[in-house]
Amino acid sequence: MGPDSSGPVSTPSDPILVAHDLSRSYGSRRALRSLSFSLRRGRVLGFLGPNGAGKTTAIRVLTTVLEPTSGSFEVAGVGSDHPDRIRRYIGVLPEGLGFPRHTSGVDYLGYFGQLYGRRRADARQTALDLLDIVGLRARADSLIETYSHGMRQRLGIARALVNDPRVVFLDEPTLGLDPRGQQELLAMIQRIARERDAGVVLSSHLLSEIEGICDDVVIMNAGQIVAKGTVAEILGRASVDGGGHNTIRVRVPTPSIDTAAALVDGTDRARTTDRDPNGWLTVDLADVDGSARDTDRNHLLDALIRADIPILGFEVAGGRLQDVFLQLTAEAIE
Amino acid sequence: MTASVRPGSDLADRSDRPVWWLVFRQELDDLWIGGKALNLLILFAVLVSITAFLLATNSELSLTPPRLMIVVMIQSAITFGLFIGLVISAESFSGERERATLEPLLLAPAGRRQIAIGKFLAALSPWPIAYLYSLPFVVTLAQGDLALVPALAWGAVLGTLTTVAFTGLGLLVSIWSNSSRISLFVGLLIYILALLPAQLPGEFQATTTGAILQAIDPLEAVRQFMVSGFVDVLPVGELWPLLYAPIGVTVLILGAIFLYAAPRLRLEAETPGLTWPMSRGREGVG
Repeated sequence: MGPDSSGPVSTPSDPILVAHDLSRSYGSRRALRSLSFSLRRGRVLGFLGPNGAGKTTAIRVLTTVLEPTSGSFEVAGVGSDHPDRIRRYIGVLPEGLGFPRHTSGVDYLGYFGQLYGRRRADARQTALDLLDIVGLRARADSLIETYSHGMRQRLGIARALVNDPRVVFLDEPTLGLDPRGQQELLAMIQRIARERDAGVVLSSHLLSEIEGICDDVVIMNAGQIVAKGTVAEILGRASVDGGGHNTIRVRVPTPSIDTAAALVDGTDRARTTDRDPNGWLTVDLADVDGSARDTDRNHLLDALIRADIPILGFEVAGGRLQDVFLQLTAEAIE
Repeated sequence: MTASVRPGSDLADRSDRPVWWLVFRQELDDLWIGGKALNLLILFAVLVSITAFLLATNSELSLTPPRLMIVVMIQSAITFGLFIGLVISAESFSGERERATLEPLLLAPAGRRQIAIGKFLAALSPWPIAYLYSLPFVVTLAQGDLALVPALAWGAVLGTLTTVAFTGLGLLVSIWSNSSRISLFVGLLIYILALLPAQLPGEFQATTTGAILQAIDPLEAVRQFMVSGFVDVLPVGELWPLLYAPIGVTVLILGAIFLYAAPRLRLEAETPGLTWPMSRGREGVG
């Protein structure tokens, strides 16, 4: 997808979505405070935050459904004072989207294709193509009321793509899906960003999914941004602000957990602080922020392997987005 | 990925159908295939049939002259028929809000006024069918009376006028309501209030207040027009003032919907006036 002659002038390196100091209040309650960020083409931006953080409000403001109390934003170079024009450039999967019961998938998409200005035949063909993309082609003529929840979510994503948008907003797209459904949907979202060169804003409170597919992250709490940047930057920041700990978690077979704990406690640079019935050992390493930080971890793993204890899992505490999120939102609350 | 699609920006002017027509077609599918319109029409058929049966019984006893039966039958068809439009329109937007299907519609680059026009016309769609259904009953009860044809013609005109007014009223309530229960309740309340003046005691109707109530009630005005025109056989020229109320109310309601409420249609029903300051009168309108 490239810029068309009638559209705004923008280059691939320009941000496709820019928010400047967006705020939104409901009466005296401020749901969104000074939201500023940008998104480039082909990238997935994760909107993270606990329930009530303002993610859905932010998406509704950015998709012109709600008016900002103050601030402005641009989509593909079109300012927020032209909501009608912005709607041509965006595709949205709202949270908890409902569907008409007595319409088939292809008719539903065809209807929206026509609403977005496609001719009838073109809208139908586009609908079939999109159903193919989201894996619903075989059920194109089935009534939507016969679709499963996962199929409806995929249909919702197809609807969001019906106008070949520059920016796609997906509000909690994996809510209520089983693990396989989540995985398939996330892979699809990543493909949308890469192959369509669209910016994708993905709102979720499932941190693992954000970490897996997002390039950039905005963490929100109580209506304001508490951190933003690439996933690597956010994780790096957490590593630096790690609270004076160098903690790892190692999973070993449960019969070997005592042996492993004894081995860890036998070294002079590590100490077991916790163990759980699933075989996870929590280990505090001595070097908190020095140069031996990573080396200590490697040495410990090396010692376990040399003792013929299989390593079933390994993670650095504070090194996951979940840890960062908990840390940052806790700081914000304090 | 196989879809060959044009960027959204250059799509807007290429549609071969206006937005109101697309919404109208979609709403018709929902109403008729979904069965809601059919269910209401069945209710209408039952009520009209009962009315016709009662009138026919009176006729057997020579209690009611044919002209009065024509008028009562047409008046019943109008009263029951506009109820269908009111019920459908009263839950149009509020129902969509409840089912979470309004948001994608508002996200499309479609004028809010055009969306409202499509829904409004779809809600009116059962009326002609309802009126046509009542024709055989009226014809049978008329027993060849010469007033039949003009009464049916005036009934069609006045019925359409009042159905437009009440359907519009339902739509207006629906635009400003988040709950279909509330909008249906308010619609029903308005309907009952409109039926009330005819049920008031004769003494009260003769008072100034009673006269004012009857003058501003479109349903009562239609009833008086039909009775005066076809039972009392007054010339149409003398009856025009009776049409001021239905015409005035209809114009007022349509103006309120399409000039004020529809352009301000929002995802959440909100107090009129809290609208996008930058776009008012320019974007999202019409």
